[in-house]
Amino acid sequence: MTTYNVIGKNAARKDGFAKVNGDAEYAIDVALPGMLHGKAVRSTVPHARIVKIDSSRALALPGVHAVLTGEDVAGHMLGSRVRDVPVLANRVVRFIGEKVAAVVADDEPTAERARNLVEVEYERLDSIFTIEDALANGAPVLHPNMLSYQGYIKPPEQPSNVFFANVYGVGDVELGFAEADQIFEDTYTTQRQHPAFFEPRACVVHADLGGRVQIWTSTKTPYALKGAIALAIGVDNDKLLINPTYVGGDFGGKGCPWDEALCYFLSEKTGHPVKMVMDYQEEFEAGNPRHGSIVKVRTGVKNDGTITAHHQDMIFNSGAYAGLMPLGYLAGTDRIAANFRIANARFDHRQVYTNTVPGGYMRGPGEVQGTFAMESHMDEIARKMGIDIVEFRRKNILRPGDITPMNETFSGVRAEETLLAAVAKAGYPLATGPYVGVGISMCSRPAGGGETHVEITVEEEGTVLLRTPIFEQGSGVHTVLALIAAEELGTTLENIRVVPWNTDAVENDSGIAGSRGTRMMVPAAHEASLQAKTELLNTAAELTGWPIEQLESKDSAVVNMASGEQIGWADLLGRVPDRSIMGRASNKEMGLAEYTTFAAQIAEVEIDPETGRIHLRKFLSVHDVGTILNPIGHQGQINGSIVTGLGYALMEELPIENGRVTTQSFADVKIPTMPDLPELETLLLESDEGEGPYKVRSIGEAPLLGVAPAIANAIRDATGVRFYDLPLTAEKILTGLRIAARSTIYDHHEETA
Amino acid sequence: MTSTPIKQAVRVTVNGTPYSAEVPTYRTLVDFLRYDLGLTGTKETCSVGVCGACTVMLDGKMVSSCLTLAVRVNDAEIQTIEGVANGDELHPVQQAFIDNGGFQCGACTPGQIMAAKALLEENSHPSEDEIKQFMMGNLCRCTGYYQIIDSIKAAAEQM
Repeated sequence: MTTYNVIGKNAARKDGFAKVNGDAEYAIDVALPGMLHGKAVRSTVPHARIVKIDSSRALALPGVHAVLTGEDVAGHMLGSRVRDVPVLANRVVRFIGEKVAAVVADDEPTAERARNLVEVEYERLDSIFTIEDALANGAPVLHPNMLSYQGYIKPPEQPSNVFFANVYGVGDVELGFAEADQIFEDTYTTQRQHPAFFEPRACVVHADLGGRVQIWTSTKTPYALKGAIALAIGVDNDKLLINPTYVGGDFGGKGCPWDEALCYFLSEKTGHPVKMVMDYQEEFEAGNPRHGSIVKVRTGVKNDGTITAHHQDMIFNSGAYAGLMPLGYLAGTDRIAANFRIANARFDHRQVYTNTVPGGYMRGPGEVQGTFAMESHMDEIARKMGIDIVEFRRKNILRPGDITPMNETFSGVRAEETLLAAVAKAGYPLATGPYVGVGISMCSRPAGGGETHVEITVEEEGTVLLRTPIFEQGSGVHTVLALIAAEELGTTLENIRVVPWNTDAVENDSGIAGSRGTRMMVPAAHEASLQAKTELLNTAAELTGWPIEQLESKDSAVVNMASGEQIGWADLLGRVPDRSIMGRASNKEMGLAEYTTFAAQIAEVEIDPETGRIHLRKFLSVHDVGTILNPIGHQGQINGSIVTGLGYALMEELPIENGRVTTQSFADVKIPTMPDLPELETLLLESDEGEGPYKVRSIGEAPLLGVAPAIANAIRDATGVRFYDLPLTAEKILTGLRIAARSTIYDHHEETA
Repeated sequence: MTSTPIKQAVRVTVNGTPYSAEVPTYRTLVDFLRYDLGLTGTKETCSVGVCGACTVMLDGKMVSSCLTLAVRVNDAEIQTIEGVANGDELHPVQQAFIDNGGFQCGACTPGQIMAAKALLEENSHPSEDEIKQFMMGNLCRCTGYYQIIDSIKAAAEQM
């Protein structure tokens, strides 16, 4: 393994001082002179025609400037890719929480009071809430005008609640099932989960500031957002300017347009800048949570444990709109199962509209649901066949050169090594006590693709300015950029300032998503650093007469390695004040990465048979990684992913009753807190294989994928009962234990009868 | 419903600086700090007092500024995240959060630091369980908490 000066050592984050001191500016902190505050009037019914909106009482309230309704912004459609979201509902509402009008006032409390004074009369329509409802014969079609919408991946031939359908796979599953000795079939279901980022979704829009539409908003993909807003409001892309802010948590949720277009219209109408902030009652009711799903799995196996065929039928409940998904569908489903070698596999993926909160992306979108089903199912098959779980996995594990069930190949496949390292580390299978169990899961997660740009300037004072179009969304991307520059230029992390550009800087940039940050950014930062370094060396050579081939840049100086003489950057640049030392580079790598990263995770649980309470005692996470750029940041991604996965597995849910999300606040949502933490152990299997100049792999999402199935498999091990529905709450465990106890009694009666 | 909000005078010391203002009686302390005084370091997340993001010190006691009315802090002394460092010199808790990965997105961080500081002022060497019990009212979605616990332990060593 290559050793580096800066890379691979714990880096103090570039945003550290600002964030521990309260100086970091987020969209929620932006205040402009004359700024007004907007609040949405939201639908209280799941599906209805809007008969009448009476804004007169709201408009009469002192401090209220204007009220907009759907009629005022008719035809303005919003969406990341599928443009099916009206800026304000016009004539029809499709979920409880949908925006039907917006009030703008001097301050937020006044806007809230005015919002409650807007009277909306509805004429109810039949509603559909579940996947089954959406697929039923005679179900109302929620978007009868969908043929006129833009952006569907495969435009539907006729209006249907199924707005996305695709098939992935390899081989011929029917043939594979014919070869099987046994066939196993199960259905797994998963719940909605809110990203629960901590900076409320907020934006400030000035419709005319210096002739531009200027925007400050909590987004991790500013360029995609700019395009989406321009289309929605109907202005030229170049008229918009998105100013950088810190993003206070995202987890997938802040990669789509939100209230920006609405704020634009409120600002245009009033002549003032307008701010909108979602409170969390609104956020849980109308945010863009992880999709709920039904996943049917069917697998054919030979008696020796060889899988001959696997079929997954995945259906996701997308709620009322598709426009909040960056790619218009859950892009992660085509990455599941890649830790297996299955010659014949088929994955059907459908998404349906219902009268519920629209779904979005959240850390591992589509993958998490499919992985829960797949990894639970495989564990169950091994147990039912009486084959050791590790042996069953090894028999069917992806090996170097194998084609994945998604018909793809990766370099440097180490799935088996990862599994065996986890098994060895955990001492699996350990002797367990009553109601104590251990469960294993695996997953694979390659980095996504994207495009980005980096500019590096060595300034007169010898300091380094690094510019990037990427807004720091929390994962430490600015620090990763800085440590590449520090490494290649030969300086300290402290000597580098990272200043994000606004959206005028480049033509396009992908922003952060899909665990692509390091893969996408690092080659650009590397190239820009090398350019700047070459400039430094050339300048020094010209000035000093030292032979260029003897020069190296280190410790913020150009050093003559032959003579030991050196000249500090500040000194050097002071002598050639007109010389610009700059590097600027781009990197565009779309599509699948060459390498994936495997993870093997082992959970140990103890169940209280009296209450069903699950105590997650230990969790082991083993990752197949490349070079780790910043260990403390890398570990932070693992920890955060696992604890979010723990919440998904055991406690988090957005239950819906008659179309209404019953989670009303953070007090109801139950995300994990410190006392919920298991004893966590991480093992990183480093390698010198990976993407780009330093051989990196992604880590942002992989650690989350296997958490729920590892825990479910551990509960199965502890209780003998398989649980098919997330989250795995104490109530469900207790019910499952009681049913199992009764059926044991019945079995006993049948045997003795 | 009254259409004109009732206002009341408030005199308060924040981070050592005296302020006086007329505020509507419905004004929460967090809005007063953020909008009237421009001290946006304190964040409002849940608005119902369960997440800890808006934690500030009120006369030496930890409070949720989203549940406290501005008119109730008359004659009080408040410390917010902006008042923790001594100029450019960070408090050991702040430095420990940087050195130990105690934050990612930073939105819950001001509240985490205020709470951690309050804990360490009350109990200079808390056990891991004591840290977990005390800090359970400060939620975080990014870090998974482990590095926050590391940060607090490291800060305890420094204080």
